[in-house]
Amino acid sequence: MDIGLIIAGILTLAIYTFLYKDNPIYKAAESLLIGLSIGYALVIYWQTTLVDRLFAPLFWHGELAMIIPLVLGLLMFTRFSNRLSWLSRIPIALMIGAGAGVAIPAMLYARTLKQMSASVMPLVDGGGFNVEALVVIVGLLTTLAYFYFSREHKGAMGVAAKVGTYFLMIFFGATFGYTVMSRMSTFIGRIDFLLTDFLRVLA
Amino acid sequence: MTRLKTRWVIFGGLFLMITLSYLLNVRFESVASPEVQKSYTYIEDLPEGSVIMVSFDHEASSLPEIQPLALVVLRHAFKNNLKIIGVSLFAEGTAIGYRLLSQTASEFDKRYGTDYVFLGFKPQQISAILGMGESIRHVFPEDYLGTPTDEIPVMHGIVNYDQVEMVVSITDGALTVHWIEYVGSQYHQQVMAALTAAMITTYDPYLASGQLFSVVGGLKGAAEYENLLGQPGGGNRGMLAQTSAHLYVIVLIIIGNILYFRDRKRGKE
Repeated sequence: MDIGLIIAGILTLAIYTFLYKDNPIYKAAESLLIGLSIGYALVIYWQTTLVDRLFAPLFWHGELAMIIPLVLGLLMFTRFSNRLSWLSRIPIALMIGAGAGVAIPAMLYARTLKQMSASVMPLVDGGGFNVEALVVIVGLLTTLAYFYFSREHKGAMGVAAKVGTYFLMIFFGATFGYTVMSRMSTFIGRIDFLLTDFLRVLA
Repeated sequence: MTRLKTRWVIFGGLFLMITLSYLLNVRFESVASPEVQKSYTYIEDLPEGSVIMVSFDHEASSLPEIQPLALVVLRHAFKNNLKIIGVSLFAEGTAIGYRLLSQTASEFDKRYGTDYVFLGFKPQQISAILGMGESIRHVFPEDYLGTPTDEIPVMHGIVNYDQVEMVVSITDGALTVHWIEYVGSQYHQQVMAALTAAMITTYDPYLASGQLFSVVGGLKGAAEYENLLGQPGGGNRGMLAQTSAHLYVIVLIIIGNILYFRDRKRGKE
């Protein structure tokens, strides 16, 4: 059997020993997982970010303009000094400014304007009453009412906010249900691996 | 019953339910949802030689759920002789993406470089996504194996998203939102998501607004797609286990509630 499969099988079982209780075997497997994930990501980031995009252009291809990101990157490390930490605000300000400049128009369009237009549906569609549109309108207005805190939730406002909580609960319930389904799928996937690849009980 | 024993009964029961369901090895028929059908039909209708971009935007920990989803979409694409450009915007998805692409390609005798390519990982997702809208070569001057992108046959004629028919984001998180916001909105590219069940409700608003073309969600979505494709895989194998596990959880919830109300009633008395 492939050594990788044996290690994967043993580590899978080691993780599941947590179901009994927290124990050193589980801790060792957990630490290994975290260490490997961080180590792998670090190597990938080192190569694809620092080597490919900074060191190679600057030192091997002589692109002197790359000194600017190098200096900005190094300024980040001034956070460790009380006296010089103000310098780190320069790259942070640049990052936030550039990030906001790129993200705000796109997010405003995709998350606000497009979603608003999608929420406005005709109540009568194709000669028939559109029940879905009614549910969307009621759900939207009552959920907004729940999050409107400038007026006390009493009377009509209170009723609307109460209905809004039901819509929220339906959403949370659906999300929780899907999350349970997802975790079950992960567990099923590991059982599949144990029975098929590791123990070879199934063909 | 002590707390530990209760825990043993619950987890031991779940383990038994899932293991027995697997040992029964019964194929579970599931009817394709409209979203899965839409995904399947779109890829099915693409002419041979069309290019799709598959982005592996997930962690290693979600692989049990992600793998059947990724495999069924890749198998469908290779079966229909589509060209695939693989990328990863999540560091952990890089090696997995390359492995899944290579594994599926070998099933269909597809050649690296001619039928598919894996360009690897790029940090700063938004700038990478936007950059590919101008030039994929500029963002990925080399592929995952270090070959210059210009020298890869499958990349000939591919400049940006204009030459790509669809972006498939395989994800366990919110990364597909970036594809929707930047590629879908700014470059009018079709974006399809193959995602874990936990993320389905996150993407429902995008689906309802038409910003997201389609979704294949969770192990069930994979099973439905496998049925449409006629190639049962990990999704189908897991369906009976998932159904029995859900029934088991429902029974536990009912028992838990009965015990709770019984104890409350006794407390009042």
